[in-house]
Amino acid sequence: MTSIADRPTLPKLIGERVKRREDPRLIQGRATYVDDLKVAGMLHLAFKRSDIAHGKIRSIDIAAAAAMPGVELVITGAQLAEFLAPMPIGTPFPSPAHYAVATDTVRYQGEPVAVVVASDRYLARDAADAIEVEFDPLPAVINLEQAMTGQPTVIHADFPNNLAVPYVPGGTGVDAVAGTVDNTAIDKAFADAEIVISQRMMNHRLAPSAMEPRGVLAHFEPGKEQMTIWSSTQNPHILKTFIAAMTGLSETQVRAIAPEVGGGFGAKINIYGEEYAAAALSKKLGVPLKWVEDRSEAFQATIHGRDILCYIDVAARRDGKVLGLKLKLIADIGAYNMLLTAAIPTLTMLMLNGTYDIPAVRAELTEVFTNKTPTDAYRGAGRPEAAYFVERAMDMLARELGMDPADVRKKNFIQPSQFPYATQMGAVYDSGDYEKALNLALKNANWDGLKAERDRARSEGRLVGLGLAFYVEVCGLGPSASLPTGGWEHAGVTIERGGKITATTGSSPHGQGNETTFAQMLADQFSIPMSDVTILHGDTGVVKQGIGTFGSRSQAVGGTVLMLAGDKVKKKMAKFAAAMMDANENDLVFENGMISVKGSPGTGKSFAEVASYAYVPVPLPAGLEPGLSDEAFWEPENNTYPFGCHIAMLEIDRETGEPKLLKLVAVDDCGTVINPMIVEGQVHGGLAQGIGQAMIEEVVYDEDGQLITGSFMDYAIPRATDFPWFEMDKTVTPTPVNPLGAKGVGEAGTLGSTPCIVNAAVDALSGFGVKHIDMMLRPEKLWNIINGGTA
Amino acid sequence: MEITGDHHFKAPRDKVWQALLDRQALQASMPGCERFEEVSPESYDLTIRVGIAAIKGTYTGNVQVKDLDEARQTYRLLVAGSGKPGHVQGDAVMHLTDIPGGTLVSYTGEVKAQGAIARLGSRLLGGAAKLMIGQFFKAMEKQVEARTT
Repeated sequence: MTSIADRPTLPKLIGERVKRREDPRLIQGRATYVDDLKVAGMLHLAFKRSDIAHGKIRSIDIAAAAAMPGVELVITGAQLAEFLAPMPIGTPFPSPAHYAVATDTVRYQGEPVAVVVASDRYLARDAADAIEVEFDPLPAVINLEQAMTGQPTVIHADFPNNLAVPYVPGGTGVDAVAGTVDNTAIDKAFADAEIVISQRMMNHRLAPSAMEPRGVLAHFEPGKEQMTIWSSTQNPHILKTFIAAMTGLSETQVRAIAPEVGGGFGAKINIYGEEYAAAALSKKLGVPLKWVEDRSEAFQATIHGRDILCYIDVAARRDGKVLGLKLKLIADIGAYNMLLTAAIPTLTMLMLNGTYDIPAVRAELTEVFTNKTPTDAYRGAGRPEAAYFVERAMDMLARELGMDPADVRKKNFIQPSQFPYATQMGAVYDSGDYEKALNLALKNANWDGLKAERDRARSEGRLVGLGLAFYVEVCGLGPSASLPTGGWEHAGVTIERGGKITATTGSSPHGQGNETTFAQMLADQFSIPMSDVTILHGDTGVVKQGIGTFGSRSQAVGGTVLMLAGDKVKKKMAKFAAAMMDANENDLVFENGMISVKGSPGTGKSFAEVASYAYVPVPLPAGLEPGLSDEAFWEPENNTYPFGCHIAMLEIDRETGEPKLLKLVAVDDCGTVINPMIVEGQVHGGLAQGIGQAMIEEVVYDEDGQLITGSFMDYAIPRATDFPWFEMDKTVTPTPVNPLGAKGVGEAGTLGSTPCIVNAAVDALSGFGVKHIDMMLRPEKLWNIINGGTA
Repeated sequence: MEITGDHHFKAPRDKVWQALLDRQALQASMPGCERFEEVSPESYDLTIRVGIAAIKGTYTGNVQVKDLDEARQTYRLLVAGSGKPGHVQGDAVMHLTDIPGGTLVSYTGEVKAQGAIARLGSRLLGGAAKLMIGQFFKAMEKQVEARTT
């Protein structure tokens, strides 16, 4: 027997700042992305795209393209539609037919109209450029509120006034099942109000801009009748199911692989037309086909995010107590429904209660088609919009009442004793201690000191402002009732003969670092070195089942199911060890790579010895089967609701109107933290994108539907030099909905930062009588306010 | 995008007017013009090569003179062109007035772009248009000179 005393004590890894094991390969350029893959006989695809926003296709002349040497096939949308049905969506809302490649009408600039298959990627692009398309242009529907009146035209014949989702009420007094609306409570809130604040706010359109654009390689092998599809996706299992359905194959014939994925931010949840076209054409031609998006295509043809207009009315008492909220949300969803398009603004609806105990909240949601790129999930997906509207409104209330913005929030917070808290919008918040997080943020920021500093700067004529925002979001999706794909996750744990662990997860990370956090968990669970644990993901041929990575769910759902699968294997391993040691399995402990009898640390079997025995079990213990491998499915009974407080200090240059972020303090509560370094990295990324929206990022179309922010020259994403040092901290309020207590953090940073920065900008310019400024904080806009104009 | 400007010719107004509407003078003054064909009176098909940053490429299109009003010394110029980088449309009103020592040609109009030009070059478009208009008037000056001497 090996003595445990010979072994070094293994440190507990959960809660430790373990460096990401993914990073060496990523920063050394040794990772394999779709674009790196080559399959023998592979041909390349290119898409001819519409240069106009709206029009009927009069003719497509492919002769010049088809005649180019090396071009194997040129196929129009109408021809492709003969064997590829319109694309499916994942929401229950009515939806117009949306073909992978447009058949007779184009509805946004960048919509594909034809596909080229050629021997070389650049040749394919040249051939696509040689395709001549003639359009009969139709008026472009660009202005959201004009679009709702059916002007200047209707985009989809079956959707009058361009209404994709018309006037859905929600909140207090609305019984969706019975279809009844009772206004008593909301009317009383406004009748009792001592003050009413009303504001129109726009949460504008953004381009997700993952560092790696989309890409797909579809390989149908006619002999085996098997399709392998590599894609830069967040959810290979969902891709597998949809590709099978759309190509007439069985799920058993499709293997989907997400190799290294360089960011997704929600945009790679979708299964796009290019993926369906590649799969369908590969099956038709029997050759591997690859397409990799270029940046210019990414701006036009990868989904956009946000773009929701809000009219908000706040009813309150003069002491700051909010009695009611009324909101009208109008979402500009672009030209078509993608996988989750119509569902994203419903998440905005769900979160309109914010962190506040408000007696009546009533909202109405309308979703509108326009001749723009479709919208869908983008980091936060509907929740940053809700946080922005509610937190701007709370700030306006504080300003109107002359109260400190922190005090107005404290006055209205849901109290810790009220959890689980059923909101007026239908969510059940799991746990929270909002005042604790707010107080910590105020302390870390030195709030009173900052106010004095701001006032001092103002007395010198500088335009300095302070902003605060508090958010709650819905994460850890979710029970199956909340997701059309199912809200569970799957994991497998195998202990190899030599005692090392191979685990699989249906969560498919694309930057989240789950190879590290999941290995930390298993290393602790079995008390073995983390280097003995390998996490496999992203391949439906290896990972039996899965949903994917989105909605900040990997740790809360994927992490939990991994632990449960580990428990199953651990139990079986204990039985083998008990048989070897002639001990009771319930008396055994896993410690420092040993399995030994509790209280007798000097004796035991090494982890490797027990593993080895399980695979050559002579004799086979009674009631046991050989091997150490098991799997688990698990779904939570509820979502999780992480929260936090962000504080910003901002200065606006009086001469130029240029805003500069001076300080950003963030306190985030995502429940139990597995790896603080990874959590901080996630918050950093979220902050960057939230600050980007507030300050410099904006997708702009001209009145004809031309995308005029079609490159990084005109679509500004923030760089490190745009940020101050982020001062970050956390509170920990574990969730009761999973045994880890983890809530999710991937999107959090985008929720608090955006409103707190706009709050700070309004504060900075409050001397000019301004009450609200729509994002982004364009210097021209701020300069106008400084110089007597309007926002 | 709105574009306005003017150009000062050191020639009498009638000479400038004639040159601006003359087929040969127009052809000779179009920057990068590779082909210029009259399709009907006051309407010309042309091919021009543009060498400016994101809007670089060969464009085929049409130039039309419309709403000719000799009495008021004004006319409209419609330009449309398509090339690999996309499609450009221009619509300008030209106006000639006498000034001491010559003629002032002022223009006010709008330029619209579609496709890659809009996506990548929208903020270059104004500058590029101004540059090309400048080249056009410079060349036209020579045409006017040739006609007056």
